[in-house]
Amino acid sequence: MKRQVPLVLCFLFGVVMCFTQFSPHSFSQSIYDEVVYWALIMSPFALAVGTITLVQTHVIRIRRRTEHWQYSFVVFAGLLTMVVIGLPFGPQHPAFAWLFNNVQVPLDATMFSLLAFLIASAAFRAFRARTFEASLLLISAMIVLIGNVPVGDLIWNTVLSWLPWDNGASEARQWILGNPNLSARRGIILGVSLGVISQAIRLILGIERSYIGGGD
Amino acid sequence: MEIFGIWIAALLTLCIYSFLYKDNLFYRFAEHLFVGMSVGYGIVLSVHQGFIPFAWEPFWAAVKPFWPGVPREAGWSGLWKLIPIGVGLLFFSGVSPRHTWLIRYPTAILIGFGAGLSIPNVLRANIFEQTRGTVEPFAAVHAGTLSGWGIFEAVLMVIGVICTLTYFFFSVEHRGPLKWISKVGIAFLMIGFGSAFGNTVMGRVALLIQRVDFLINDWIGSIF
Repeated sequence: MKRQVPLVLCFLFGVVMCFTQFSPHSFSQSIYDEVVYWALIMSPFALAVGTITLVQTHVIRIRRRTEHWQYSFVVFAGLLTMVVIGLPFGPQHPAFAWLFNNVQVPLDATMFSLLAFLIASAAFRAFRARTFEASLLLISAMIVLIGNVPVGDLIWNTVLSWLPWDNGASEARQWILGNPNLSARRGIILGVSLGVISQAIRLILGIERSYIGGGD
Repeated sequence: MEIFGIWIAALLTLCIYSFLYKDNLFYRFAEHLFVGMSVGYGIVLSVHQGFIPFAWEPFWAAVKPFWPGVPREAGWSGLWKLIPIGVGLLFFSGVSPRHTWLIRYPTAILIGFGAGLSIPNVLRANIFEQTRGTVEPFAAVHAGTLSGWGIFEAVLMVIGVICTLTYFFFSVEHRGPLKWISKVGIAFLMIGFGSAFGNTVMGRVALLIQRVDFLINDWIGSIF
Protein backbone atom coordinates (compact mmCIF):
# COMPACT_ATOMS: atom_id res chain seq x y z
CA MET A 1 0.00 0.00 0.00
CA LYS A 2 2.77 2.42 0.95
CA ARG A 3 5.26 1.54 -1.78
CA GLN A 4 3.48 -0.58 -4.40
CA VAL A 5 0.48 1.70 -5.03
CA PRO A 6 2.64 4.78 -5.84
CA LEU A 7 4.71 2.64 -8.24
CA VAL A 8 1.53 1.37 -9.94
CA LEU A 9 0.13 4.92 -10.16
CA CYS A 10 3.38 6.21 -11.67
CA PHE A 11 3.37 3.34 -14.19
CA LEU A 12 -0.28 3.85 -15.14
CA PHE A 13 -0.10 7.62 -15.56
CA GLY A 14 3.24 7.36 -17.37
CA VAL A 15 2.07 4.74 -19.86
CA VAL A 16 -1.29 6.44 -20.46
CA MET A 17 0.30 9.86 -21.06
CA CYS A 18 2.91 8.32 -23.34
CA PHE A 19 0.34 6.46 -25.47
CA THR A 20 -2.04 9.42 -25.76
CA GLN A 21 0.72 11.21 -27.68
CA PHE A 22 0.84 8.46 -30.28
CA SER A 23 -2.89 8.10 -30.86
CA PRO A 24 -4.95 10.72 -32.69
CA HIS A 25 -8.25 9.11 -31.55
CA SER A 26 -10.73 11.43 -29.78
CA PHE A 27 -10.91 9.05 -26.78
CA SER A 28 -7.15 9.29 -26.38
CA GLN A 29 -7.35 13.07 -26.64
CA SER A 30 -10.09 13.23 -23.98
CA ILE A 31 -7.96 11.12 -21.60
CA TYR A 32 -5.02 13.43 -22.27
CA ASP A 33 -7.15 16.52 -21.52
CA GLU A 34 -8.51 14.96 -18.33
CA VAL A 35 -5.06 13.99 -16.98
CA VAL A 36 -3.63 17.43 -17.83
CA TYR A 37 -6.59 18.86 -15.91
CA TRP A 38 -5.76 16.63 -12.94
CA ALA A 39 -2.15 17.83 -12.98
CA LEU A 40 -3.31 21.46 -13.11
CA ILE A 41 -5.57 20.86 -10.10
CA MET A 42 -2.84 19.14 -8.09
CA SER A 43 0.02 21.56 -8.82
CA PRO A 44 -1.22 24.46 -6.60
CA PHE A 45 -1.25 22.08 -3.64
CA ALA A 46 2.44 21.34 -4.25
CA LEU A 47 3.15 25.10 -4.16
CA ALA A 48 1.23 25.37 -0.89
CA VAL A 49 3.46 22.67 0.60
CA GLY A 50 6.53 24.60 -0.59
CA THR A 51 5.20 27.73 1.11
CA ILE A 52 4.57 25.81 4.34
CA THR A 53 8.17 24.55 4.22
CA LEU A 54 9.48 28.13 3.74
CA VAL A 55 7.41 29.38 6.67
CA GLN A 56 8.57 26.46 8.86
CA THR A 57 12.22 27.19 7.96
CA HIS A 58 11.92 30.84 8.96
CA VAL A 59 9.93 30.08 12.12
CA ILE A 60 12.74 27.71 13.17
CA ARG A 61 15.29 30.45 12.38
CA ILE A 62 13.44 32.89 14.63
CA ARG A 63 12.96 30.35 17.43
CA ARG A 64 16.62 29.31 17.47
CA ARG A 65 17.86 32.88 17.02
CA THR A 66 20.27 31.77 14.27
CA GLU A 67 22.45 34.32 12.50
CA HIS A 68 20.41 37.14 10.83
CA TRP A 69 17.16 35.70 12.24
CA GLN A 70 15.63 39.18 12.35
CA TYR A 71 15.41 39.21 8.56
CA SER A 72 12.94 36.31 8.66
CA PHE A 73 10.39 38.89 9.83
CA VAL A 74 11.10 40.82 6.63
CA VAL A 75 10.34 37.65 4.62
CA PHE A 76 7.02 37.29 6.46
CA ALA A 77 6.23 40.98 6.03
CA GLY A 78 6.80 40.78 2.26
CA LEU A 79 4.86 37.53 1.95
CA LEU A 80 1.90 38.71 4.04
CA THR A 81 1.70 42.09 2.30
CA MET A 82 1.34 40.43 -1.08
CA VAL A 83 -1.04 37.73 0.17
CA VAL A 84 -3.28 40.06 2.21
CA ILE A 85 -3.75 42.41 -0.75
CA GLY A 86 -3.61 39.86 -3.58
CA LEU A 87 -5.75 37.00 -2.26
CA PRO A 88 -9.03 38.84 -1.61
CA PHE A 89 -8.74 41.44 -4.38
CA GLY A 90 -6.87 39.49 -7.04
CA PRO A 91 -3.67 40.23 -8.98
CA GLN A 92 -5.39 42.98 -11.03
CA HIS A 93 -5.98 45.19 -7.95
CA PRO A 94 -4.11 48.56 -8.26
CA ALA A 95 -2.40 48.17 -4.85
CA PHE A 96 -1.10 44.73 -5.79
CA ALA A 97 0.07 45.98 -9.18
CA TRP A 98 1.74 48.98 -7.47
CA LEU A 99 3.68 46.66 -5.15
CA PHE A 100 4.63 44.45 -8.06
CA ASN A 101 5.82 47.32 -10.26
CA ASN A 102 7.56 49.42 -7.61
CA VAL A 103 8.98 46.79 -5.26
CA GLN A 104 9.21 43.37 -6.84
CA VAL A 105 10.21 44.29 -10.40
CA PRO A 106 13.03 46.69 -9.32
CA LEU A 107 14.31 44.14 -6.79
CA ASP A 108 14.21 41.39 -9.40
CA ALA A 109 15.98 43.43 -12.11
CA THR A 110 18.58 44.83 -9.70
CA MET A 111 19.33 41.41 -8.23
CA PHE A 112 20.00 40.00 -11.70
CA SER A 113 21.93 43.09 -12.83
CA LEU A 114 24.20 42.57 -9.81
CA LEU A 115 25.36 39.42 -11.57
CA ALA A 116 26.96 41.63 -14.24
CA PHE A 117 29.62 42.58 -11.66
CA LEU A 118 30.01 39.07 -10.29
CA ILE A 119 30.21 37.54 -13.76
CA ALA A 120 32.92 40.06 -14.70
CA SER A 121 35.10 38.99 -11.77
CA ALA A 122 34.41 35.32 -12.60
CA ALA A 123 35.42 35.97 -16.21
CA PHE A 124 38.68 37.54 -15.07
CA ARG A 125 39.59 34.29 -13.33
CA ALA A 126 38.21 31.88 -15.96
CA PHE A 127 39.37 33.66 -19.10
CA ARG A 128 43.09 33.49 -18.63
CA ALA A 129 44.23 31.95 -21.90
CA ARG A 130 46.42 29.27 -20.35
CA THR A 131 45.28 26.39 -22.56
CA PHE A 132 43.92 26.01 -26.08
CA GLU A 133 40.39 25.33 -24.76
CA ALA A 134 40.47 28.39 -22.47
CA SER A 135 41.62 30.49 -25.43
CA LEU A 136 38.64 29.27 -27.49
CA LEU A 137 36.30 30.18 -24.64
CA LEU A 138 37.86 33.64 -24.36
CA ILE A 139 37.87 34.36 -28.10
CA SER A 140 34.29 33.23 -28.73
CA ALA A 141 33.00 35.13 -25.67
CA MET A 142 34.83 38.29 -26.80
CA ILE A 143 33.50 38.04 -30.36
CA VAL A 144 29.93 37.54 -29.10
CA LEU A 145 30.29 40.43 -26.63
CA ILE A 146 31.77 42.84 -29.19
CA GLY A 147 29.38 41.71 -31.92
CA ASN A 148 26.40 42.36 -29.65
CA VAL A 149 27.00 46.09 -29.30
CA PRO A 150 26.93 48.71 -32.09
CA VAL A 151 30.38 49.94 -31.12
CA GLY A 152 31.78 46.58 -32.28
CA ASP A 153 30.78 47.21 -35.87
CA LEU A 154 31.88 50.85 -35.56
CA ILE A 155 35.37 49.73 -34.55
CA TRP A 156 35.43 47.12 -37.31
CA ASN A 157 34.32 49.56 -40.01
CA THR A 158 36.82 52.18 -38.82
CA VAL A 159 39.92 50.19 -37.94
CA LEU A 160 39.46 47.36 -40.44
CA SER A 161 37.93 49.47 -43.22
CA TRP A 162 40.44 48.02 -45.71
CA LEU A 163 38.79 44.58 -45.39
CA PRO A 164 36.09 43.72 -47.96
CA TRP A 165 33.49 42.89 -45.26
CA ASP A 166 31.29 45.49 -43.56
CA ASN A 167 29.92 45.02 -40.04
CA GLY A 168 32.30 42.10 -39.47
CA ALA A 169 31.88 42.06 -35.68
CA SER A 170 28.15 41.33 -35.77
CA GLU A 171 28.62 38.98 -38.76
CA ALA A 172 31.29 37.01 -36.87
CA ARG A 173 29.04 36.85 -33.81
CA GLN A 174 26.16 35.61 -35.93
CA TRP A 175 28.35 32.96 -37.57
CA ILE A 176 29.64 31.68 -34.22
CA LEU A 177 26.12 31.51 -32.79
CA GLY A 178 24.71 29.82 -35.89
CA ASN A 179 27.46 27.26 -36.50
CA PRO A 180 29.98 26.02 -33.89
CA ASN A 181 27.80 27.18 -30.99
CA LEU A 182 24.69 25.58 -32.49
CA SER A 183 26.46 22.28 -33.18
CA ALA A 184 27.71 22.14 -29.57
CA ARG A 185 24.24 22.97 -28.28
CA ARG A 186 22.71 20.28 -30.52
CA GLY A 187 25.19 17.76 -29.18
CA ILE A 188 24.30 18.72 -25.60
CA ILE A 189 20.54 18.68 -26.35
CA LEU A 190 20.76 15.24 -27.97
CA GLY A 191 22.80 13.87 -25.06
CA VAL A 192 20.52 15.37 -22.41
CA SER A 193 17.39 14.21 -24.26
CA LEU A 194 18.61 10.62 -24.40
CA GLY A 195 19.27 10.87 -20.66
CA VAL A 196 15.78 12.31 -20.03
CA ILE A 197 14.12 9.51 -21.99
CA SER A 198 16.10 6.77 -20.24
CA GLN A 199 15.32 8.34 -16.84
CA ALA A 200 11.61 8.62 -17.75
CA ILE A 201 11.54 4.93 -18.71
CA ARG A 202 13.28 4.02 -15.45
CA LEU A 203 10.68 6.04 -13.50
CA ILE A 204 7.71 4.53 -15.31
CA LEU A 205 9.00 0.98 -14.92
CA GLY A 206 9.72 1.54 -11.22
CA ILE A 207 13.48 1.00 -11.55
CA GLU A 208 14.14 4.51 -10.27
CA ARG A 209 12.32 4.81 -6.92
CA SER A 210 14.16 7.61 -5.14
CA TYR A 211 11.02 9.80 -5.15
CA ILE A 212 9.31 7.30 -2.84
CA GLY A 213 12.06 7.79 -0.27
CA GLY A 214 13.15 5.36 2.41
CA GLY A 215 11.08 3.44 4.97
CA ASP A 216 8.10 1.20 4.31
CA MET B 1 1.84 57.98 -5.48
CA GLU B 2 3.98 57.64 -8.59
CA ILE B 3 6.82 59.68 -7.05
CA PHE B 4 6.55 57.60 -3.87
CA GLY B 5 6.85 54.43 -5.98
CA ILE B 6 9.93 55.80 -7.75
CA TRP B 7 11.56 56.60 -4.40
CA ILE B 8 10.79 53.13 -3.00
CA ALA B 9 12.15 51.46 -6.15
CA ALA B 10 15.27 53.68 -6.12
CA LEU B 11 16.04 53.06 -2.45
CA LEU B 12 15.60 49.31 -2.85
CA THR B 13 17.84 49.39 -5.95
CA LEU B 14 20.53 51.19 -3.92
CA CYS B 15 20.07 48.67 -1.09
CA ILE B 16 20.87 45.83 -3.50
CA TYR B 17 23.83 47.66 -5.06
CA SER B 18 25.27 48.33 -1.59
CA PHE B 19 26.37 44.67 -1.74
CA LEU B 20 29.10 45.76 -4.19
CA TYR B 21 30.84 47.40 -1.21
CA LYS B 22 30.24 44.46 1.15
CA ASP B 23 27.45 42.36 2.65
CA ASN B 24 25.43 44.70 4.87
CA LEU B 25 22.04 45.06 6.57
CA PHE B 26 20.51 47.11 3.73
CA TYR B 27 21.31 44.39 1.21
CA ARG B 28 20.03 41.65 3.52
CA PHE B 29 16.82 43.59 4.11
CA ALA B 30 16.18 43.97 0.36
CA GLU B 31 17.16 40.36 -0.32
CA HIS B 32 14.74 38.96 2.28
CA LEU B 33 11.99 41.33 1.19
CA PHE B 34 12.48 40.08 -2.37
CA VAL B 35 12.16 36.44 -1.27
CA GLY B 36 9.00 37.13 0.75
CA MET B 37 7.31 39.20 -1.93
CA SER B 38 8.19 36.72 -4.69
CA VAL B 39 6.66 33.86 -2.71
CA GLY B 40 3.59 36.00 -1.91
CA TYR B 41 3.24 36.91 -5.58
CA GLY B 42 3.53 33.22 -6.52
CA ILE B 43 0.84 32.28 -3.99
CA VAL B 44 -1.57 34.93 -5.28
CA LEU B 45 -1.06 33.92 -8.90
CA SER B 46 -1.30 30.23 -8.07
CA VAL B 47 -4.57 30.75 -6.18
CA HIS B 48 -6.21 33.04 -8.73
CA GLN B 49 -4.94 31.37 -11.88
CA GLY B 50 -4.54 27.79 -10.65
CA PHE B 51 -6.50 26.89 -7.52
CA ILE B 52 -9.71 28.84 -8.16
CA PRO B 53 -10.31 27.94 -11.84
CA PHE B 54 -8.96 24.39 -11.70
CA ALA B 55 -9.76 23.22 -8.14
CA TRP B 56 -12.31 25.45 -6.39
CA GLU B 57 -14.73 25.96 -9.28
CA PRO B 58 -14.86 22.23 -10.19
CA PHE B 59 -15.25 21.43 -6.47
CA TRP B 60 -18.11 23.91 -6.14
CA ALA B 61 -19.70 22.58 -9.31
CA ALA B 62 -19.45 19.05 -7.88
CA VAL B 63 -20.96 19.77 -4.45
CA LYS B 64 -23.52 22.33 -5.66
CA PRO B 65 -26.18 19.66 -6.47
CA PHE B 66 -26.15 18.66 -2.78
CA TRP B 67 -26.71 22.24 -1.61
CA PRO B 68 -30.26 22.91 -0.32
CA GLY B 69 -32.44 24.49 -2.95
CA VAL B 70 -30.24 23.61 -5.90
CA PRO B 71 -31.83 21.21 -8.43
CA ARG B 72 -30.19 17.75 -8.40
CA GLU B 73 -30.00 17.51 -12.16
CA ALA B 74 -27.28 20.17 -12.05
CA GLY B 75 -24.77 17.37 -12.55
CA TRP B 76 -23.43 14.39 -10.59
CA SER B 77 -20.60 13.89 -13.03
CA GLY B 78 -18.76 16.85 -11.47
CA LEU B 79 -17.91 14.58 -8.52
CA TRP B 80 -15.24 13.09 -10.74
CA LYS B 81 -13.27 16.33 -10.23
CA LEU B 82 -13.10 15.69 -6.49
CA ILE B 83 -10.57 12.88 -7.06
CA PRO B 84 -7.66 15.13 -8.14
CA ILE B 85 -8.59 17.64 -5.40
CA GLY B 86 -8.47 14.84 -2.83
CA VAL B 87 -5.19 13.52 -4.21
CA GLY B 88 -3.78 17.08 -4.21
CA LEU B 89 -4.79 17.48 -0.55
CA LEU B 90 -2.58 14.47 0.23
CA PHE B 91 0.40 16.82 -0.29
CA PHE B 92 -0.42 18.21 3.15
CA SER B 93 0.11 14.80 4.76
CA GLY B 94 3.79 15.82 4.94
CA VAL B 95 3.00 17.91 8.03
CA SER B 96 2.03 14.79 10.01
CA PRO B 97 4.98 12.39 10.57
CA ARG B 98 2.63 9.38 10.87
CA HIS B 99 0.92 10.03 7.54
CA THR B 100 3.79 11.49 5.60
CA TRP B 101 3.94 8.41 3.34
CA LEU B 102 0.66 9.51 1.74
CA ILE B 103 2.57 12.29 -0.06
CA ARG B 104 3.92 9.52 -2.33
CA TYR B 105 0.55 9.23 -4.10
CA PRO B 106 0.32 12.74 -5.61
CA THR B 107 4.10 12.74 -6.17
CA ALA B 108 3.90 9.43 -8.07
CA ILE B 109 1.02 10.71 -10.21
CA LEU B 110 2.80 13.96 -11.11
CA ILE B 111 6.09 12.15 -11.78
CA GLY B 112 4.37 9.50 -13.92
CA PHE B 113 2.48 12.26 -15.76
CA GLY B 114 5.69 14.20 -16.43
CA ALA B 115 7.73 11.13 -17.39
CA GLY B 116 5.05 9.78 -19.73
CA LEU B 117 4.60 13.13 -21.41
CA SER B 118 8.33 13.77 -21.73
CA ILE B 119 9.14 10.60 -23.71
CA PRO B 120 7.23 11.43 -26.94
CA ASN B 121 7.76 15.19 -26.63
CA VAL B 122 11.51 14.98 -26.05
CA LEU B 123 11.80 12.42 -28.84
CA ARG B 124 9.93 14.67 -31.24
CA ALA B 125 11.31 18.10 -30.32
CA ASN B 126 14.83 17.40 -29.14
CA ILE B 127 15.94 14.29 -31.02
CA PHE B 128 14.07 14.10 -34.33
CA GLU B 129 13.93 17.85 -34.94
CA GLN B 130 17.54 18.50 -33.91
CA THR B 131 18.78 15.60 -36.03
CA ARG B 132 16.67 16.80 -38.95
CA GLY B 133 18.10 20.32 -38.56
CA THR B 134 21.61 18.89 -38.58
CA VAL B 135 21.30 16.78 -41.73
CA GLU B 136 18.73 18.86 -43.63
CA PRO B 137 21.32 21.11 -45.38
CA PHE B 138 22.69 17.99 -47.11
CA ALA B 139 19.46 17.78 -49.10
CA ALA B 140 20.42 21.16 -50.58
CA VAL B 141 23.93 19.83 -51.21
CA HIS B 142 22.42 16.89 -53.10
CA ALA B 143 20.19 19.24 -55.07
CA GLY B 144 23.24 21.37 -55.92
CA THR B 145 21.70 24.55 -54.50
CA LEU B 146 24.21 25.06 -51.68
CA SER B 147 27.34 27.20 -52.13
CA GLY B 148 30.82 25.98 -51.20
CA TRP B 149 30.68 27.96 -47.94
CA GLY B 150 27.24 26.47 -47.19
CA ILE B 151 28.64 22.96 -47.71
CA PHE B 152 31.52 23.77 -45.34
CA GLU B 153 29.03 24.97 -42.71
CA ALA B 154 26.86 21.86 -43.13
CA VAL B 155 29.88 19.56 -42.73
CA LEU B 156 31.13 21.59 -39.76
CA MET B 157 27.71 21.23 -38.11
CA VAL B 158 27.72 17.42 -38.45
CA ILE B 159 31.32 17.18 -37.23
CA GLY B 160 30.49 19.41 -34.24
CA VAL B 161 27.41 17.42 -33.24
CA ILE B 162 29.17 14.03 -33.58
CA CYS B 163 32.29 15.18 -31.73
CA THR B 164 30.26 16.77 -28.91
CA LEU B 165 28.18 13.62 -28.53
CA THR B 166 31.37 11.53 -28.51
CA TYR B 167 32.72 13.63 -25.63
CA PHE B 168 29.62 12.66 -23.60
CA PHE B 169 29.98 8.97 -24.54
CA PHE B 170 31.40 7.44 -21.36
CA SER B 171 30.73 3.76 -22.08
CA VAL B 172 34.25 3.24 -23.42
CA GLU B 173 37.57 4.76 -22.43
CA HIS B 174 38.57 7.75 -24.57
CA ARG B 175 41.74 6.39 -26.17
CA GLY B 176 43.15 6.46 -29.69
CA PRO B 177 40.91 8.09 -32.32
CA LEU B 178 38.08 8.47 -29.80
CA LYS B 179 40.34 10.67 -27.67
CA TRP B 180 40.98 13.05 -30.55
CA ILE B 181 37.33 13.12 -31.60
CA SER B 182 36.31 14.00 -28.04
CA LYS B 183 39.03 16.67 -27.95
CA VAL B 184 37.45 18.27 -31.02
CA GLY B 185 34.13 17.96 -29.16
CA ILE B 186 35.64 19.88 -26.21
CA ALA B 187 36.73 22.64 -28.64
CA PHE B 188 33.15 22.97 -29.93
CA LEU B 189 31.82 22.93 -26.38
CA MET B 190 34.24 25.69 -25.36
CA ILE B 191 33.05 27.86 -28.25
CA GLY B 192 29.45 27.12 -27.21
CA PHE B 193 30.13 27.98 -23.56
CA GLY B 194 31.98 31.13 -24.57
CA SER B 195 29.02 32.24 -26.71
CA ALA B 196 26.58 31.44 -23.91
CA PHE B 197 28.75 33.41 -21.49
CA GLY B 198 28.89 36.38 -23.87
CA ASN B 199 25.12 36.38 -24.27
CA THR B 200 24.57 36.07 -20.50
CA VAL B 201 26.90 39.00 -19.81
CA MET B 202 25.06 41.09 -22.38
CA GLY B 203 21.71 40.25 -20.75
CA ARG B 204 22.96 41.20 -17.29
CA VAL B 205 24.62 44.39 -18.55
CA ALA B 206 21.37 45.35 -20.29
CA LEU B 207 19.60 45.01 -16.92
CA LEU B 208 22.34 47.07 -15.26
CA ILE B 209 21.98 49.82 -17.89
CA GLN B 210 18.22 49.80 -17.35
CA ARG B 211 18.60 50.18 -13.57
CA VAL B 212 21.23 52.95 -13.88
CA ASP B 213 18.98 54.69 -16.42
CA PHE B 214 16.12 54.45 -13.92
CA LEU B 215 18.25 55.91 -11.12
CA ILE B 216 19.61 58.78 -13.22
CA ASN B 217 16.57 59.74 -15.28
CA ASP B 218 13.53 58.64 -13.27
CA TRP B 219 14.76 59.09 -9.70
CA ILE B 220 17.35 61.91 -9.83
CA GLY B 221 15.36 63.45 -12.70
CA SER B 222 12.32 63.63 -10.41
CA ILE B 223 14.32 65.53 -7.77
CA PHE B 224 15.88 68.20 -9.99
